[in-house]
Amino acid sequence: MRNKLDACLQAVNQVVLGKAPQVQLAMACLLARGHLLIEDLPGMGKTTLSHTLAKVLGLSFQRIQFTSDLLPGDILGTSVFDKESGQFTFHPGPIFAELVLADEINRATPKSQSALLEAMEEGQVTIEGATRPLPEPFFVIATQNPVTQSGTFALPESQLDRFLMRLSLGYPAHAAEKALLQGQGRRAMLSRQEPLLSHRELAELQQLVEQVHASDALIDYVLRLVEATRSQPQFAWGLSPRAALGLLNAARAWALLANREYVIPEDVQAVLPAVAGHRLRERADPSGHGGSALVQWLLREVPAL
Amino acid sequence: MFRDAYRQRWRQWLNRRIPPARAVQLNQRRIFILPTPRGLAFSVVLLLMLLAGINYQNSLAYGLTFLLLSVFHTAMLHTYRNLSGLMIKAAGVAPVFVGEQARFQLRLESRGKVHEAIACGWPPAPLQIADVPAEGQALLEIPLAASRRGWLRAERLRVESRFPLGLLVAWSWVDLDQAVLVYPQPLPGDLPLAAQVGLEDEDEGQRIVGRGADDFQGLRTFQPGDSRRRLDWKAYSRGQGLLVKDFAQLAGRDLWLDFSSLGGDVEARLSLLCHWVLTLDQRQQAFGLNLPGSRLEPATGAAHREACLKALALFGSASA
Amino acid sequence: MTPAIPRISLIWLLVAQALVILPHLAHLPLWFTGLWAFCAAWRLQIFRMRARYPNGLAKAALILATAAGVFWSRGGLIGLEAGTALLMATFVLKLVEMRTQRDALVLIYLGFFAVVTAYLLDSEMLSALYSVLPVTALLAAMVGLQQSRLAMQPWPTLRYAGKLLLQSLPLMLLLFVFFPRLGPLWSLPQPGSKGISGLAESMTPGDIANLGRSPEPVFRASFEGATPPRSELYWRALTLEHFDGRRWSQTPDLPVLATDSWQAQGQNLSYSILMQPSLQRWLFALDTARTDLPGARQLSDYRLVNVSPVEQPLLYRVSSWPQVVRDPELRPTQQRRALQLPAGNPRARELAAELKARYARPEQLVAALLTRFNQGEYFYTLKPPTLSGDTVDAFLFDSRRGFCAHYAGAATFVLRAAGIPARVVAGYQGGEFNRQGGYVQVHQFDAHAWVEYWLPERGWQRVDPTFAVAPERIEQGLEAALAEEGSFLEDSPLSPLRYRDVALLNQLRLAWDNLNYGWQRWVLGYQSEQQLGLLQRWFGEWDIQRLVIVLGGGGVLLGLLMALLLLKPWQQRLDAQQRVYRRFERLLARHGVARRPGEGARDYARRAALVLPQQARQIEGFAECFEVQRYAGIASDKGQLAQQLRALRRALPWRLSRLDDGETTR
Repeated sequence: MRNKLDACLQAVNQVVLGKAPQVQLAMACLLARGHLLIEDLPGMGKTTLSHTLAKVLGLSFQRIQFTSDLLPGDILGTSVFDKESGQFTFHPGPIFAELVLADEINRATPKSQSALLEAMEEGQVTIEGATRPLPEPFFVIATQNPVTQSGTFALPESQLDRFLMRLSLGYPAHAAEKALLQGQGRRAMLSRQEPLLSHRELAELQQLVEQVHASDALIDYVLRLVEATRSQPQFAWGLSPRAALGLLNAARAWALLANREYVIPEDVQAVLPAVAGHRLRERADPSGHGGSALVQWLLREVPAL
Repeated sequence: MFRDAYRQRWRQWLNRRIPPARAVQLNQRRIFILPTPRGLAFSVVLLLMLLAGINYQNSLAYGLTFLLLSVFHTAMLHTYRNLSGLMIKAAGVAPVFVGEQARFQLRLESRGKVHEAIACGWPPAPLQIADVPAEGQALLEIPLAASRRGWLRAERLRVESRFPLGLLVAWSWVDLDQAVLVYPQPLPGDLPLAAQVGLEDEDEGQRIVGRGADDFQGLRTFQPGDSRRRLDWKAYSRGQGLLVKDFAQLAGRDLWLDFSSLGGDVEARLSLLCHWVLTLDQRQQAFGLNLPGSRLEPATGAAHREACLKALALFGSASA
Repeated sequence: MTPAIPRISLIWLLVAQALVILPHLAHLPLWFTGLWAFCAAWRLQIFRMRARYPNGLAKAALILATAAGVFWSRGGLIGLEAGTALLMATFVLKLVEMRTQRDALVLIYLGFFAVVTAYLLDSEMLSALYSVLPVTALLAAMVGLQQSRLAMQPWPTLRYAGKLLLQSLPLMLLLFVFFPRLGPLWSLPQPGSKGISGLAESMTPGDIANLGRSPEPVFRASFEGATPPRSELYWRALTLEHFDGRRWSQTPDLPVLATDSWQAQGQNLSYSILMQPSLQRWLFALDTARTDLPGARQLSDYRLVNVSPVEQPLLYRVSSWPQVVRDPELRPTQQRRALQLPAGNPRARELAAELKARYARPEQLVAALLTRFNQGEYFYTLKPPTLSGDTVDAFLFDSRRGFCAHYAGAATFVLRAAGIPARVVAGYQGGEFNRQGGYVQVHQFDAHAWVEYWLPERGWQRVDPTFAVAPERIEQGLEAALAEEGSFLEDSPLSPLRYRDVALLNQLRLAWDNLNYGWQRWVLGYQSEQQLGLLQRWFGEWDIQRLVIVLGGGGVLLGLLMALLLLKPWQQRLDAQQRVYRRFERLLARHGVARRPGEGARDYARRAALVLPQQARQIEGFAECFEVQRYAGIASDKGQLAQQLRALRRALPWRLSRLDDGETTR
């Protein structure tokens, strides 16, 4: 099982070049049953990463391009009157896929955003009184442009909290970019990519994550981190209990990826920037950002032992 | 001579016993306890009472003397207990300018029990008193005068408690490894012509460096006179206050604050530069800073300001 | 400059002051209450910002006026009474000028001292129990002076003070029992006489009748072994040998009896007596007595006297040998004194001559005299008619009504007139048996006078003419003797002694009396001899060495116990793994690699291994072991970790002091 996981990572890294840490975090996020938010400028490989992950993990993939005129129905699906049967039939929207890429989520209106986010949270969709479950597993990878770009609707804090991790891919390193330019097209590679995991195996792996041991001492460390965000003056607000739970789960997944049956503080520290960065705001800075500086502070100052 | 040597030894001993750390938990190795002057006066009163008991052969006088003596002993345990287990953490300090008071933030945390009337500070300045509830915490701000630019390292902090009776004082000297960056004192003055290329332009009113319509630079707080059309209403509706979308015009020539173009002694020059860093930053004007040995490219924004001020503060010191 | 006084502290200070002053009020002049009210009112007005602190002039005027007041009402500024008054005045005046915490503290300390002076004036059990209140309030005021959360809440402050007191009790008891009691270091003014009524150096017959109206306690006696019947309990206080026609008085300057002048004989009675202050030197005892009280002596009339007047409750042990023959021979001076008679009273002399003529042997004569009292129309009464002129004649032949002193005086007169050496003995007879406490309580109304006459070879013989008149006085006590007359304690209608026939009340009274006796014996009387006796009973021998061991050892033990209870060190936060890890950290810190707070064990070990490549294996071994123990949830023995640490220690060069950490942490 472990070997398969390594093979998956390797396969993704072959397509998405020079982004091994982000790939590993994204994988941890999926294993911890969390949703992923990727924040980057256009063209950085967000879509490629999502698509590759879907392919490698053998998940059905749908992409929703968010625009300002996107309606909730475009995401969830609509009932259409069927002349032949004389009944309304439900046409499921793109959200009924196992891995959904919500591209440029901050271009859509808050109304459409919340339709997606509610579905993410509840694992089901309620349309016209009928509740329809979403597929299992169900992942959302949302991407957004940096908030400062004009014409965007920044996700409010409460919505951000629903994403387990936020990643930023950034420009590729020199060598990686050279390889990218020299190599074949990514799309061609993607189409050739075979799934490496079955649904059953993925479910098993997710269960394995839950079994990773987190000792009292480690949980105390997580609590110290969370408490620090709630009590230190420079934090505008503290991490939510959901964030704390997510942090522990992500650390478990990270430990599994590192082939360990128990979590150590270093695991927590490895996932902390991705898990906490988008949830924290510096008090002195009203326009957002500052999350990463705060995370650095947490890593430096909160006693790990 | 002897005094200094003695102090040196004392400091070394303390460093071994209570090594500097960002967070210190007080325990028996770190707490000292002695009677206060009040406690000594109390013992004199006890002695008088004992004499009365002896000379009048009065058992009750003996009894009260012994009771109060036992109370003294119990108070010692209480005073010690009041301090022990207390967690003292450095909670940060904001940089200040010379002449201001640096406000060191301290966080006192309880690990289970109540800590009453804990006093912290740097003698001879009066100590600040706070109560720490059980499993809770208290925040203290302790001022320290900043008289020289550069890193101001806080001395060992005295943490003491005289609770419950004031007869005994339990104290500790903790080094929270805190330091604050002290910027030079900003002193208004004119920049010499050589450095004023950009300013001349502004005077002519042709090109306003830092403000324009070309490129979205970010948000800044509203000032009277700003165009309403640039108000960021969305930010306002989010409760972030009145912000203005700032668009910068790329200036043809950058404004440079140059140390070597100024006259006067080093500190005066730094003070002047400091003043101009602040002024230009307030005007949202891009500027660069040129110091012997370091050079900051023109930019705007808080990060740039901090970097410039830091460079000025640490100018000439080893850790710059 | 000390900060101002918190409100709660001020409140408790005012309460404490009231509590401290209250027991003093009875001993202070009346104007003091006014002064106190004035000062308290002023202080309250200051607190309500309606008045100002007194200026220098006002202060001086107040002090002078108070001193003058004390001088005027106490007749001076020296002496315990005046000293106490001055102390209390200072205590009250300080209230007004109390501004800073230091002033408040002075007031609190004065308060403690005022409590001690209250003990000197009154050390009853109830007063002592009461004094817990002012002490607690004073401590609460002290707690309130601290600038803590408690400074806002009155009750928690008081509770805290109470907690402190309770926690201090064990050590206090240890000190109280074992702290060596010293004799007075120097003499100090003693509490003045408050007009204690009791036996006097001389008596007219009416004096003892007056005592018969007083229910005040005189002393208590506990017997080792069975208590003798009350008809045997003749407590001798003094002998009255000189008669001037009206008044019997004792011979001044009696010589001291040498200790070997009489030999113990027959069975003895052992008992201890706890005496209330009498302001007299004599002690009470049954015949013939010896005491171990230091400085006590026996005078030639076989009574015991103390070195100094008894001003504090006094406890002493006595052994009595009732069968001892006292003075088988009388020296001429003694004989002369025992036969001295003033002129007058012809009819009594006539009676004596008549009796002497009829009875050759003195015993027979005495028996006849008693028969006369018994058979004749003689009455026992607390309200005898006033006599004048030849009082003995008037009593013997006309009024025939009298109290014990009348009968004793008359009998002695007649015996002397008949040539038999005789004298009046004054003291107490009987007492109230407290079965619960197993002791005899003697009150002032048990005061009695009886007669001793001398026989050659057989010495002094006791005879009680009152017994012939009113045997119930001797066998049952005064109340029974006065049952018909109804005059028993008629001046003290509230005295519980009057209600002895109400069973419940009587039991309560006896129990209360018993409690007080225990208090006096074991608390107030716990001075050097009592302490030595107790400690010798517990420890066999008692010397300085043992004192140091018990006091020091006990103190340390109690201190540790208290520390354990209060500090609860078992609730330490660091567990064993963490402790070993701290040692590991300190070790590496000495070699220049200090762990940063946010650094996990693995990262730290990796960094340390880079700095100390030669010990990398041991460092990583330890870190791995720690990691597994701490985070993997696998139970393994702690020794393994310590072993890893030892291996690392061996691998590292020995270094005592910390190397300077090359990097700056900021």
